[in-house]
Amino acid sequence: MSEEDKPEYWRWTESNWRNPDIRWEDAKIVTAGIDVGSVSSQAVVMTDGQVYAYSNMRTGSDSPESAMNALNFGLEGTDMPESRIDYCIGTGYGRVNVPMADRTITEIACHARGAHFIYGPGVRTVLDVGGQDCKAIRCDEKGKVVNFLMNDKCAAGTGRGMEVFADLLSVPITDVGQRSFQVEDEPEPVSSTCVVYAKTEATGLLRKGWGVNEVLAAYCSAMSERIFSLIDRIGIEKEFAITGGLAKNRGVVDRLMKEIGLAPMKTDWDTQIAGAVGAALFGYVLVQKGKGRKG
Amino acid sequence: MIEKFQEWYANRHEYQREYKERTGNKIVGYFCTYTPEEIFYAADVLPVRILGSHEPQDVTEPHIFSMFCPFCRDVLAQGLKGKYDYLDGITIGQSCLHLRQTFTSWELHRNPGWSYFLHMPNHVQSKRAIPFLVEEYRLLIKKIEELAGKEITDDDLRQGIDIMNKVRRVMKEIYEFRKKDNPPITGTEAMYMTCAQFFTDAREFLPVAEEVKRGLTARRLDRDQGKRIMLIGSENDDIEYINMIETLGERESVGCTVVVEEHCTTTRYFWDEVDTDIDDPLRAIAERYVLRTPCPSKDWPKRSRLQRILKLAKDFRVDGAIIIQQKFCDPHEADIPFIRRFLEDNGIPTYFLEFDVTVAAGPFAIRTEAFLETLEAEEDLF
Repeated sequence: MSEEDKPEYWRWTESNWRNPDIRWEDAKIVTAGIDVGSVSSQAVVMTDGQVYAYSNMRTGSDSPESAMNALNFGLEGTDMPESRIDYCIGTGYGRVNVPMADRTITEIACHARGAHFIYGPGVRTVLDVGGQDCKAIRCDEKGKVVNFLMNDKCAAGTGRGMEVFADLLSVPITDVGQRSFQVEDEPEPVSSTCVVYAKTEATGLLRKGWGVNEVLAAYCSAMSERIFSLIDRIGIEKEFAITGGLAKNRGVVDRLMKEIGLAPMKTDWDTQIAGAVGAALFGYVLVQKGKGRKG
Repeated sequence: MIEKFQEWYANRHEYQREYKERTGNKIVGYFCTYTPEEIFYAADVLPVRILGSHEPQDVTEPHIFSMFCPFCRDVLAQGLKGKYDYLDGITIGQSCLHLRQTFTSWELHRNPGWSYFLHMPNHVQSKRAIPFLVEEYRLLIKKIEELAGKEITDDDLRQGIDIMNKVRRVMKEIYEFRKKDNPPITGTEAMYMTCAQFFTDAREFLPVAEEVKRGLTARRLDRDQGKRIMLIGSENDDIEYINMIETLGERESVGCTVVVEEHCTTTRYFWDEVDTDIDDPLRAIAERYVLRTPCPSKDWPKRSRLQRILKLAKDFRVDGAIIIQQKFCDPHEADIPFIRRFLEDNGIPTYFLEFDVTVAAGPFAIRTEAFLETLEAEEDLF
């Protein structure tokens, strides 16, 4: 099999969505939040503080282009011109490179605000597991950050690490969680979440005769332990919510929740858009208060 | 205005080599601010503090553990790489074990021919600390006299005290300007100044600092001060970090100015003067070092530093404090929960950062920015 034909097991589906019940033409205030992360980018367009449309894509090598692609993909089929957007906020790792942004706000503030919106105002602790870092955020009843912690400078125990593992084990990323539970006994976690060391360890385990599912279980378990140590340091207050791509991986989330001893909040929204939702909401409030572009 | 200090900071070795040639004076490198510089000045010996270079290095591994603080490893690397080969001696006033190992290893492998370990008491809150230190100073004086080839008299000591006190005073006067709204001097500039004190002869530093002081009255900086921030913690001369957070406002929606610090590179070093009303100069010097704003390694059983930190925070009207710990710096680490709780109880929000002098400052930008956002007035965004 040539390199081009090799299936990309890490690849998750890019998506966009539009709210069929909203006519953007009726909106008073239209705001956008664009979250350019290290691995994925999202654009959320809000009409009067409600999500009208969004997109979720992979970040390319160029941040401004990724921001534009995300916004275009989000607005696809809506007829809304970009010029209709009254105010746009850039967030995420590439926030200073969002060309259409009127201002920037960190993804830490945006994820807290976004989680407050997509999970509801009861949320007090937000865990955002992104592509290359992991943040534990405590917020108040308004979704304002009270305190936060970030993991250290590498991709260990984050989304990108999980992608590398999916590829290594030839398991589609969306199946990883489910398959990690198809084991007879829960194995010991791999000893390191460092992607390089964990890969070496996994290869060794496979050679020893471990099944793919067991190796997945061992890696998911190691990741949940690492994430737990971070949120344990900041202290968990109810309700607890997870944002970012890893929220979709039950293999990590279920193991983590078992350790925490809580049930995570549930949402029908795509957890990856939390940051962009928060950004768009901040924009909406700024415009409402006359601090944004409109009025 | 602060170009001279930047130059001294960047070219400390050039300055010191040239100084030695020009004056014929001996130079002793010291590792911790518990070294009584007054006594060295009294003997016409220039004391210079050795700081790290912030460059990654691979030479200290066989000497001190990698779980020792990155600052002391960086400092040792300077010695092992021969960057200080022009020194005539090295010394340390005991503070923490990590830095002491740096001294010991340097003494063993790069001994310039004169070295002295000063038994600076750790239990500075003991009644016996001052008399003990006076006697220790007598031993130190004998040793310095050997190096300098001259006897140190009480008048020499008074001269040394005068030299150090003048610099301390001018630095405090300069810090007064930082209490103002839109301070005419940034934290980055102030850090260049405070560190230049370590690398230069105080008598040469003084006139340049006086000139800065005069210039500050009329100086206006064309920048938004943003949030007023205090830095607290371990050794820190991470100018790259300070400059990065002070220029955040140029790129992002939040910004800040560092208006005061509580580091051994800044206020812990120069804030306290020697009391010249005390007759015996040696006792006066000993009192100064025992009673100065302590390093946390000596701040027990009572944590006296907390009140001093709070006073600085209030006097300089800070909006928030960033607590900086050099990774593995145990004395500071043990203080962090107390400082944070104390400041928070007194209405000053804090954020904690773990530093590693040899690691790029970049990843700390988002943390600092997000902390600044939490200090923003709520009414705008919620």
